[in-house]
Amino acid sequence: MIALTSPYLWYTTRATGFVALILFTIAVTLGTFVANRIGGTIVGRFELNELHRSVSIIAVVFLVIHITSTVVDSYVPTGWVSTLVPMTSAYKRVPVALGAVAFDLILAVWISSLLKVRIANRTWRFIHWFSWLAFASALVHTLLAGTDSRKGFGLIVAVICASFVLAAAVWRYLGRPTRAAGRTALSPLAAAKDQSVPARPLLDSPPVALRPTAPRPQPTVPPRPSDGGFQRGPRAPSKKRKSR
Amino acid sequence: MGMRRKVGGFVLRVNPILCDGFGHCHELAPELVKVDEWGYPIIVNTPTPLADLGALESARYAVRGCPRQALNIERIAEQP
Repeated sequence: MIALTSPYLWYTTRATGFVALILFTIAVTLGTFVANRIGGTIVGRFELNELHRSVSIIAVVFLVIHITSTVVDSYVPTGWVSTLVPMTSAYKRVPVALGAVAFDLILAVWISSLLKVRIANRTWRFIHWFSWLAFASALVHTLLAGTDSRKGFGLIVAVICASFVLAAAVWRYLGRPTRAAGRTALSPLAAAKDQSVPARPLLDSPPVALRPTAPRPQPTVPPRPSDGGFQRGPRAPSKKRKSR
Repeated sequence: MGMRRKVGGFVLRVNPILCDGFGHCHELAPELVKVDEWGYPIIVNTPTPLADLGALESARYAVRGCPRQALNIERIAEQP
C-alpha cells in the first residue's frame, strides 16, 4: 500500500467518528420509538420507522468514511482486515477491536434488514437486538480510541449519546412488547382517545361471567346394536396418530 | 420483466399470528386497512383491481413497512 498520510485524513477520522456516534444514537432512539409505538398523532408511526431507516443508512455511510480514512491513512498501522476481525490491529489493539466488533454487528443488522422480506421475522428481530451491543461497543471504542473523547466537548458529546441510549434501553425494557398497544391517528377512534372510551365488554368484565357455572351435560351415546352390547368408553386419544 | 396485463385484482392478507398491531399498515394504506378498537387491522375484503395503481402502491408500502412482516399481497384472478 502506498504511504498516504495527511492530517486531514486524521481529522476526517475523528470528525466522522463523532458524527457516526451521534447518528447511531439517533438511530437507536428512533428504533426505540418505533418499537414502543410512539407516533400516530403528530407524526406517523411509519414516518418514525422510515426516519429510523434513513438515519441508520446515513450513519453507516459515515461509519464507512470513518473506517476508510483510518485505514487509508498510513500514519497509524491498521489494515483492512482489522476493520472486520478484532484484535488484529497493531495500533491500539483493544480499542480498534471494539470498533471492529461494533462494525461487524452493525453489518449484521444492516444485511439482515436488507434481507428482511426473505428471512423469518424472528430471525430479523433477534439480529436487531444486537444493535444495542453494537452501540455499547462503539461507545467504548469512542472513549478508548478517540483522540477527542476524553476531554472537553468530545467527552460531553459521548456522555450525552450514552445517556440517550441508556434512557432508550430503560424505556424499551419498561415498554416491552405488549400486544394491542393502541390506535393510530388516522383511526376513526383516535379522536375519541381522550374522551371516555367505552369499556371493553369482554376483557373488563370479571372472568366468572365468561365461564358457565354449571358443568355441561355430557351427551349420552347409545350403544350401537352391532357391538353386541359392548359399550366403549370415551375414546382415548390415540397415540399412533401424529398431531399436526 | 415483461409487461403484465393489469387484469384481476389483489387483496392484502394479514398473518394474524405475526401481527402485533403496530398500525403501520393502516397509516400506509388507509384505503385498504382499517383498524379495530385495539389497533389490529381490518382489511378490506373485496379485491381491488390491479389497475388501481395507487392502491397497489400503498399496499406495497404497507407490506414493506410492516414491522412484523405480517402482510402480503395476494393476487386474485379475474372472474370469468
